Amino acid sequence: MGPPVRGRGGSGGGFRGGRGGDRGGRSFGGGRGGGRGGGRGTPFKSRGGGRGGPRGGGRGGPRGGGMKGGNKVIVEPHRHEGTFIAKGKEDALVTKNLVPGEAVYNEKRVTVQNEDGTKVEYRIWNPFRSKLAAAVLNGVDNIWMKPGSKVLYLGAASGTTVSHVSDIVGPTGVVYAVEFSHRSGRDLVNMAKKRTNVIPIIEDARHPAKYRMLVGMVDVIFSDVAQPDQARILGLNASYYLKAGGHFVISIKANCIDSTVPATVVFDNEVNKLKADQFKPIEQITLEPFERDHACVVGGYRVPKKKKDAE
Amino acid sequence: MSSLRNAVPRPAHKERHQPSSRKTFGLLEKHKDYVERAKAYHKKQDTLRILREKAANRNEDEFYFKMIKSKTVDGVHRPVEKDNKYTQEELILMKTQDIGYILQKLQSEKKKVEKLSAMLHSIDNNKPLNNHVYFADDREEAKELKLQLSKRKTSPTSEDILPSLKRKTERSYKELEARKNRVNQLEKVYMDMAMTKELQKNGRKRKLREDEIVNPTNRPVYKWFAERKR
Repeated sequence: MGPPVRGRGGSGGGFRGGRGGDRGGRSFGGGRGGGRGGGRGTPFKSRGGGRGGPRGGGRGGPRGGGMKGGNKVIVEPHRHEGTFIAKGKEDALVTKNLVPGEAVYNEKRVTVQNEDGTKVEYRIWNPFRSKLAAAVLNGVDNIWMKPGSKVLYLGAASGTTVSHVSDIVGPTGVVYAVEFSHRSGRDLVNMAKKRTNVIPIIEDARHPAKYRMLVGMVDVIFSDVAQPDQARILGLNASYYLKAGGHFVISIKANCIDSTVPATVVFDNEVNKLKADQFKPIEQITLEPFERDHACVVGGYRVPKKKKDAE
Repeated sequence: MSSLRNAVPRPAHKERHQPSSRKTFGLLEKHKDYVERAKAYHKKQDTLRILREKAANRNEDEFYFKMIKSKTVDGVHRPVEKDNKYTQEELILMKTQDIGYILQKLQSEKKKVEKLSAMLHSIDNNKPLNNHVYFADDREEAKELKLQLSKRKTSPTSEDILPSLKRKTERSYKELEARKNRVNQLEKVYMDMAMTKELQKNGRKRKLREDEIVNPTNRPVYKWFAERKR
């Protein structure tokens, strides 16, 4: 019985030794092995250093130098002024970040370097979180918001879409963001602290007179209030603040108005209500892949009729 | 003296080997071979002797539970197999842990799909146009609008994108598709596991017949009897 036992012990020791050697050779143990043995240390350390070097370079390279193969993303202007399309790992609608280095709702940002070395940061506009982005991606003809516009935004919520609208209108434009809920209004105010062109208003949009001291005449009203009387709310606000010949963009959630009839019927009813309120709808688009039973209606307000007679 | 004797070349002494006439018997056994063979033989004999002695001195009244809990199968000693090693509660616990793992993976995968779809808007895909309605006051304006629209249809982005970027975009879309598939599969597995778990619980239930099922599926549908708790 003696010899076999001894043999087992010996072979076990051999294995252990072998494993130890392997561990030293593996990537994660390299540094540790180097630190332990003085004689062995040098080759391991140097290898570790060599390995760490190129990785750091590979990560920092495109950002710092920009010499290696150019940009990872290209950004080109979208049909709508103020919005852009980023192509690369992402294939997304983006807006130029008014406050570079800051994300509003943890959205992804892409940085592009121009030829003259200046960097521009864009923020990805998530169509699943923003009805306006969904409308743009579904090919709405005109959102009537462009750099320099004054926008009244009803139903601002936490300010995710508002931040993108503020990107679009830029430093020369203004966004008046109205939100009734204090809870989401807090996020809105925090967002507005960093964006000087956003004016947060925590008030009920049903009583536009309450914020008449803050809001001037605007070019566009965007309404996303999801209330049964949203057409009336829009009409009230327009009568106070929308200039004649201005435009409106309203997002309609069919379920919020009447969940018993089909969505298309709800949309038609809403459009008729709008028409009765001196609005002239121009186009309507459903937000199908992004939202279910939602529509976005775009149109003008108190459109002068003279123009048509002249033609 | 001895060193001188060593210097004299002596004929090499060759050991006798198996004569060619007896080659059929293999190598000729030498003394050291015999010693090894004899030792092995005597060891075996000793073992047999000890076993015989043990058998002769066996206590008739000796009993161990292993004697009834195990048996030999083809000469190999095997414990008698139990039908179910675990209790019902233990089994349910293990299965819920499995379900928990599947649910966790499902949720993380869903999160990844959400993240990917937030940055992949399939901008170049042509959207279905029936979701776009234009409003006109009268027929003339409608005609005008139609004319304008037919002129306009252009793709929103330019096509001259670097091939490396294009490849990156394609890869992202492929990843999104794969993750969506995985979510579907995990959802299916999760539903199955949840169903079996519910079926294991107490409570009277019965399988619905084909004509009783409201939403037709190819899976069995069960209905629990209403049970008054208190």
